[in-house]
Amino acid sequence: MSHHPVHVEQPSDAEILPRLETPGVLSRVEELIRRYPVKRAALLQVLWLAQETLGWLPNVAIRWSAEKCEVSPVHAYGVSLFYTMYKKVPTGRFFLQICQNVSCHIQGAEAVIAHAEKVLGVDSHGGNTEDGLFTLLRVECLGACGNGPVLQVNDSFATDVVDGELAMPIGVGLDPERFDRIVEWCRRRAAELPEEPVRDALGDILVGTDGHPGATGASAEVQGSYAPPPPALAVTASNVEEGRTKVTWKAAPETTVLHLETRQGGGEFAEVASLSGKDKEWIGELPAGAEIRIVAETAGVRAKPSNIAKGIA
Amino acid sequence: MATLTVTQNFGKGARDLEVYRSLGGYGSISSRLFDLSQFELIDLVSRSGLRGRGGAGFPTGMKWSFVPRNSGKPVYLVVNADEGEPGTFKDHVLMQEDPHRLIEGMIVCGWALGVRTAYIYVRGEFLPAIETLNAALKQAYAAGLLGKNIGGSGYSLDIYVHRGAGAYICGEETALINSLEGFKGQPRLKPPFPAVSGAFASPTCVNNVETLMALPWILEHGPEAYQALGTPKSGGTKVFSVSGDVKRPGVYEVPMGTPLMELLESPELCQGIVGELKGVIPGGSSSPVLTAEEARKANLDYEALAALKTMLGSGAVVAFNTERSAVGMLTSLTRFYAHESCGQCTPCREGTGYADRIMKTIASGKGREGDLDHMLDLAANFSYTTICPLAIADAWPIENFIGKFRPEFEAEVAKNPDRGSPRVTKDFRPGAFW
Repeated sequence: MSHHPVHVEQPSDAEILPRLETPGVLSRVEELIRRYPVKRAALLQVLWLAQETLGWLPNVAIRWSAEKCEVSPVHAYGVSLFYTMYKKVPTGRFFLQICQNVSCHIQGAEAVIAHAEKVLGVDSHGGNTEDGLFTLLRVECLGACGNGPVLQVNDSFATDVVDGELAMPIGVGLDPERFDRIVEWCRRRAAELPEEPVRDALGDILVGTDGHPGATGASAEVQGSYAPPPPALAVTASNVEEGRTKVTWKAAPETTVLHLETRQGGGEFAEVASLSGKDKEWIGELPAGAEIRIVAETAGVRAKPSNIAKGIA
Repeated sequence: MATLTVTQNFGKGARDLEVYRSLGGYGSISSRLFDLSQFELIDLVSRSGLRGRGGAGFPTGMKWSFVPRNSGKPVYLVVNADEGEPGTFKDHVLMQEDPHRLIEGMIVCGWALGVRTAYIYVRGEFLPAIETLNAALKQAYAAGLLGKNIGGSGYSLDIYVHRGAGAYICGEETALINSLEGFKGQPRLKPPFPAVSGAFASPTCVNNVETLMALPWILEHGPEAYQALGTPKSGGTKVFSVSGDVKRPGVYEVPMGTPLMELLESPELCQGIVGELKGVIPGGSSSPVLTAEEARKANLDYEALAALKTMLGSGAVVAFNTERSAVGMLTSLTRFYAHESCGQCTPCREGTGYADRIMKTIASGKGREGDLDHMLDLAANFSYTTICPLAIADAWPIENFIGKFRPEFEAEVAKNPDRGSPRVTKDFRPGAFW
């Protein structure tokens, strides 16, 4: 939100902390933190969690988030001010955001905003209606330009009411009548439901995973061999002179060691030479008809063997 | 009907894993992906001519080739779904309609680069898309397509959704990385480039949603088939978000090199202009605007639009008719960039705000003589003096709207009877016109 939270009455710690320090919230915090290699990275998500839980972000919730992510309170406070979606002031039950950017502007956003101001009797820079139902805010691009002018009611995109539900039909933008229908929908809902259900934006955390491999305190090493190393490719063998064979191949740049192996008439492959990962070819004596392959090794892990080339006498 | 490589599952309910699979989804994972080595895969993507669809158009294969796998640090893949460029809404629709294609593309990219942990950075406003993605990830994990040892290949990948919180600048890749790390989304100096030192000081590949979603098709049909869909230098197809004064705004996928007017007027696509065409913004709000005459000559590929001194950008086409005021549009844009400047570099923080205040006086009938030249001078001075291109993204619309529709701006200034009086310096104190 673009307005600065200068004169917001802040609730006391005793009022807010018991709502955050519940087993449910704390276990989610722990799971959020495990998605990242450092705790600080979870800050945006923990702030979201606090906002989901409380409806807005009082200073005590920001301090609490900072503590959980092990950053200074002022860092968390700065972050919460930088991003416009963290609510530093409480809003009405239905937070109406109307886009005023270029696509919506040319489709008549100003007229709709003026209409909304008149209908709700508030200004469009974060004005609240007295019944606590609506907050109206003009915002920049919401990313639904094909439906310009577009409106968000809390977290739902809405340009009309279809079959009694908020909807954004393809190509339909907001106009004064549709806005009135949406306001009417909100009022009806307020009469039916005591409060808005909270939508879970953070997902089923860590379904089937243990989280980031380094998250529980270890470093990047835990990532270890996250994928098999790349094998050597396109091995060819050719005669350069009597009895001497030239072997060429392609290897990935990170390869550390190349094992040149041969065998004759079936049996096991045996290593003939151990080469550097930077080598491009090898010339040496090999018996006629030998089968040649190369096994690339990257950081101590052997890749699957290359294709097999036939040595020529 | 042209070949579709990204949007072919629209309207088929592909959000559900079973439906996506019945449409051939995850075919690349079960068939050939894990037989390909890293550089075969990078070579394949290079040959397809695929270029970054987020705006810069950097060749994807080349970008991948910059990511080292032997640095001793983990490699991260970060999907840029912080779609914020005014006019752009394709990624929003793509994630909503076909989330599994994005996951499949991420597995392909992850395998190529040896990624163990990937993040999808979705802008905070897209809660419905976040819910769709989370549901799709849950299904993919349950089916063994994500997590440990995918399909018995020995390869493991975890994907998490990271919700942004409302900042346009986080679409810039280094700002996005800062935001992912729990900082304010302020861009970093380059070098070091993210490929070498990005998220958590580790090699990082940042790709747009649409770029990754093109990969399954490329793997299935081969790079040459993809390249052949477009022009020699801009391969494949591109998804365009069309808004403004067209009969049917929406998201359309067309081959690269399609004439702009065909996109706007074809009965299968946008079905024509409402009113008489005045101009088109071809690639998102920061791309230089085209007059109707230029738009009729334009083809939708990187080179053809560059020849018209504009750009394809993110593929956000905003068409507007002769009833729309260029002054109003530019005022809306300068306000946006002033609002979204991250405040890190002085030329941008002060310059975009200054330009915004001048535009507001012009639009409210208080313009002075010399204001337009002043704006151009200002734009020239805050371009190329900052860490990231946000200032340039403000300068281009200023230069082009004023350059191409100057009589309209002059008429607006002429409405002020007091236009000849000099600007008083104290008028430019911050906040003087808010």
